[in-house]
Amino acid sequence: MTAIAAERYTGASIKRSEDPRILTGAGRYVDDIKLPGMLHAAFVRSPMAHAQVLSVDISAAQALPGVVAVLTGADLEAMTVPGPDALMALMGWAGPTPEFTLLATDKVRLVGDPVAVVIAESRYLAEDGCELVEVEYDDLPAVVSAAFALDPGSPPLFANLGDNIALPCSRHEFGDVAGTLAAADRVIDLHIDVHRHQNVPMEGRGCVASYDAGLGVLTMYAATQSVHVTRIAVAMRLGTEPDKVRVLAGDIGGSFGLKIGASREELAVAASSRHLGRPVKWVEDRGENLTASGQAREESFDIRAAVSNDGDLLGLDVKMVVDTGAYPGMGAMVPAIMEGMLPGPYKLAALGFESTGVITNKATYVAYRGPWASETFVRERVLNLIAKDLGLDPVDIRLRNVAPRTDPPTMMITGRPLAGTTSRESLERVTQLVDFPAFRRRQAEARAQGRYLGIGVATFIEAAPGPRAPEGASGPMGMESMRLRLEEDGIVALFTGQMPHGQSHQTTLAQIAADEFGVPFEQVRVVIGDSDIVPFGLTGGSRSATMTGGVTLHGARQLKAKVLDFAAHLMEASAQDLLITDGNVWVRGDPASAIAVSEVAQRAAAGQFGAGVDAELEVEATFDGGEGGWSGGTHCAIVDVDTETGIVTIERYVAAEDCGKLINPAVVEGQIRGGVAQGIGAVLLERSAYGEDGSFQSATFMDYLMPTACDIPRIEIEHLQTVPLDSDVNFRGVGEGGMIVAPPTIVNAIEDALSPFGVRIYEQHLPPARILELIAEANPGR
Amino acid sequence: MADITLRINGATRTGSPEARKTLADFLRDDLELTGTHVGCEHGVCGACTVIVDGRAVRSCLMLAVQAAGSEVTTIEGLAPDGGLGTLQQAMWDSHSFQCGFCTPGFVMQATAFLGSHPDADEQQIREALSGNICRCTGYQSIVDGVLLAAQRNRQGATVKAERGSDHDSNRG
Repeated sequence: MTAIAAERYTGASIKRSEDPRILTGAGRYVDDIKLPGMLHAAFVRSPMAHAQVLSVDISAAQALPGVVAVLTGADLEAMTVPGPDALMALMGWAGPTPEFTLLATDKVRLVGDPVAVVIAESRYLAEDGCELVEVEYDDLPAVVSAAFALDPGSPPLFANLGDNIALPCSRHEFGDVAGTLAAADRVIDLHIDVHRHQNVPMEGRGCVASYDAGLGVLTMYAATQSVHVTRIAVAMRLGTEPDKVRVLAGDIGGSFGLKIGASREELAVAASSRHLGRPVKWVEDRGENLTASGQAREESFDIRAAVSNDGDLLGLDVKMVVDTGAYPGMGAMVPAIMEGMLPGPYKLAALGFESTGVITNKATYVAYRGPWASETFVRERVLNLIAKDLGLDPVDIRLRNVAPRTDPPTMMITGRPLAGTTSRESLERVTQLVDFPAFRRRQAEARAQGRYLGIGVATFIEAAPGPRAPEGASGPMGMESMRLRLEEDGIVALFTGQMPHGQSHQTTLAQIAADEFGVPFEQVRVVIGDSDIVPFGLTGGSRSATMTGGVTLHGARQLKAKVLDFAAHLMEASAQDLLITDGNVWVRGDPASAIAVSEVAQRAAAGQFGAGVDAELEVEATFDGGEGGWSGGTHCAIVDVDTETGIVTIERYVAAEDCGKLINPAVVEGQIRGGVAQGIGAVLLERSAYGEDGSFQSATFMDYLMPTACDIPRIEIEHLQTVPLDSDVNFRGVGEGGMIVAPPTIVNAIEDALSPFGVRIYEQHLPPARILELIAEANPGR
Repeated sequence: MADITLRINGATRTGSPEARKTLADFLRDDLELTGTHVGCEHGVCGACTVIVDGRAVRSCLMLAVQAAGSEVTTIEGLAPDGGLGTLQQAMWDSHSFQCGFCTPGFVMQATAFLGSHPDADEQQIREALSGNICRCTGYQSIVDGVLLAAQRNRQGATVKAERGSDHDSNRG
C-alpha cells in the first residue's frame, strides 16, 4: 500500500473551513447576489394539470408601472433553440424524447407549469404583474395515475410521442429465471409501492443571469451541482458557444439531486437577460419549489420471489413502472440502475427485470439522493416478508443469503463483482450493538401491556463508485480532473469541478492535499464555482470521496514531485533527499536547510534557472477511480407504534456503515444522519400529494411535512473496517446510503411492531392515518 | 412607503419600505444584511428568524414597518468583532451544519432560547428548535452544538463571576 505521506489531517474530524462564514451570515447564496440594474422575474403558472392554452393576454401586466417585460412561451421559443434536456443528452439518452418549449405554448402539463414570465423592478412588482396576466385554458383530461398513462386511450401529453410512454417496456433476464421459479419450493407474489416525495432543499432553485452585449457573454450565477453542466445546458438552449457562457456559484443551500444542469425556468431567465440586456434574478419561493421544481420516486413493483423452504432467496422476477411526471428526464434512466443493483449483496442467482416509464400530469421526476433506492426497499422488504412466511429471523435470513467474500469475488447476477463488501460484518456488528434477545423479551412484556414495539434491519450496498468496471471510466460520471498549483504565497490551490452544497469539500479535499503535499491545512485553498477556471466535474452520485479524494491525493503527489524537482536546483540537492513538511522544503537530516514553499514558488516565478528547468509549479491530474469499491452497511431501528393514534416513535437507530477509509469522520457521520433523517421523513411524514384531477395538494410546509428535531432520534454510527481494494485511494462515497436504507429499516420495524395484528406492509408511506388503516384492514372486526 | 427608524445590531438604521415589505426582505434588500435567509415565506421553516426586542421572530411574517422603533438582532450582529460568539463557536466545534442555509435561523432561535433557558436539557432544546427545519443534518449535530454552548456559558458564567467580567456573546 502506498500510504498518504503524513496522516495529520486525513481521518480526523477537522473543523470545517466553510463554517466561519456560514455561522456569521457571511455565506454567499444565489439570492444574495445583487447586480447594478438587476431586474426580478416571477412566473405565471398553470392552475390546471392538463389543458390547452387558448390565449395569453399580457397587456394589463405590461402596463403596470415597474414591469419591464412580460414574455410568453411563444416569445421565449423565438429567443431559444429547441432541443433535449442537457443532462439527458450528456448521459446519452436515446429513448423517447418529448418536444416542449421552455414556457408553455400550446398546452400546460402540470399544476405549476410556467406559462409566462414577468420581469420587473422588484419581485413584489413582478408578482403583481403575474396577477394581471390573463390565460384562457381549455381543460383536458388529466393523466394522473400510471395505470391511465399506460392506457393507449389516455390523451398524450406530447404530440410528438403519441402516447404517454417515457420509457418503453423492456425486459432483461439474468440467470435462468423461468427455471428458478419453476423449481423453487415456494414462489411468493407481491406488489410494492413507493410513494412520490421530494428533495426540498432549504434553498430552492434560483439564478441571476447577466448578459454582456459587448462581449456577447452571458454570466449565470447559479445554484447548481455542476457549473459545467449548467454552462452546457444554457449554451445549448441559447444557441451559443459554451465559451460564451460563464457559470459562477457560491454557497448552495442543499440540493440532493435537484439542481443539476438548468431548469426550464432558469433557461428562460437566461434568455430574458440576453433579450433585455440587463441582469435578471429569479429565486423560487417554497410554493414553486414544492409544486414545480421536481419530485421523485413513485414507483410500483410486481414481484415474484423464488424461495427455498430454508430461506434461500433464489430468484426474483420484477416488473416495475416508474411515473416520470410531466417532462421526463432522470426518471426514464433510473430503472436501468435499479436493475443492476437489485441483487444487492446477496447470492441471488436469477433476476428478471421489466421496466416501463410513464408520463403523467405531475411534477417532473428528478434525481433525489439515491435515485435507485427503491431496489433496496423492494429487496429488503421481500426478505422480511419471506422471513415472516417461513418463521425465520430477519437477521438470519440476511446472513444466510449474503454472498461470501471470496477471491475472486462473487459476481452479482447482473454482472458486477461483490469485491470487498462487508455486508456480513455489518449485520453481525448490528447484532452486537443491539441486544436482540433482550429486545424480544422487552417487546413481549410491552405487548402484554398494550404497547407495540418493533425492530427492523435492512442492508444495502452502494456503488460509490463501485468496483472498477472492465471497460474503464466513461461518461460525465467517469474520469475526475483537478488542477493544482503552488501559489507564490505558499498556498496550495486545488481547482475542482466539484460543486459542494453541504458536502464540506472545501474542508475534506484540503485535508488530503495538506497531508500529501506537506503543508498545514490552512495553507490549502479549494477553488470551486467558476466554469472559466475549474475543470469539468459534477457533485452527485456519492462519487466525490473516491473520485475527487483520489485526484486530490494523486495530484498533490504530482505537484509535490514537481516542486521538489525545482527545489533540487534551488537547494543544490537531489530531489530524492528533499522533504516537504509543515510548509517547508528541507534536506533530509538537515532541518536547518528548510525554506518555505512560498519562497520556492517565488524563486520559480522569478525564472532564474532558465528554460531547462521546469519552474511551472502546476499540474493537471486525472483519476479514474482506481480499483473503486462498494459502500454499504446495515441499519437497525427500534420503533414504538401507538396503535390508538398511529404515531410511530423511533426509540433507537443504529447504523453500521462502511464507506472505506474516512477522510473526516464528523463529515461522514453528518452525511449518514442527514440521509437517515430524509428516509425517516419519507416513511413517516412526506408525500407529494395529487388529487384525482391532478390538483397539487402539498404546496406548503403545512401540507408537505418535513421532519423536525423532535422527529429524528440520535443516530448511533459504527464505522466498519473496510477491505481496501486500491493501492492508495480507499475513500468511498457516503452521501446516499442513509436515504437508501433507512426506509426499509423503518418499515421493517413498523411491520414487526404490528405483527400481533397480522399487518403486512407493501408500501413506504406510513403516516399515522395509514398505520390505523393497516391495523383496521388486517382486523376488520377490531 | 413609510419612513421607519429602528436599531439593528446596535446601530440606528432608517428606511422607507413599502407597507407590504416583510422585515426579511427589508433586511436583505434595503439594508443588505443577507445573512437572514428566506426559506418558506410562510412562517414554518424558521430560516428567517431574527431577534426583535428580545424575542425570536419570523422575519418573513413580520412587516418591516411593524419593526419601527424596535431593537433587531440578526446573525450579522451576534459577534460584531468579526469573530464567533460562544454559540457559534460551539456549533463550529460540533460540526452542526452542512449547507448552511438554515443556519442563521437556528443560531438566532437558539440564541434567544438559551438566553431565557440557560440550563435547558436536550429534550427542551429539541422542542425549542422544532420550529426550524434543517434538511441536511438530522438535527443531532445542531442539538449538540446548543448543548455545548449552554455548558460553556455556564462554565463561563462561573469564571466571569470570579473575574467580574460582563462579556456575554449570547445576547438576547
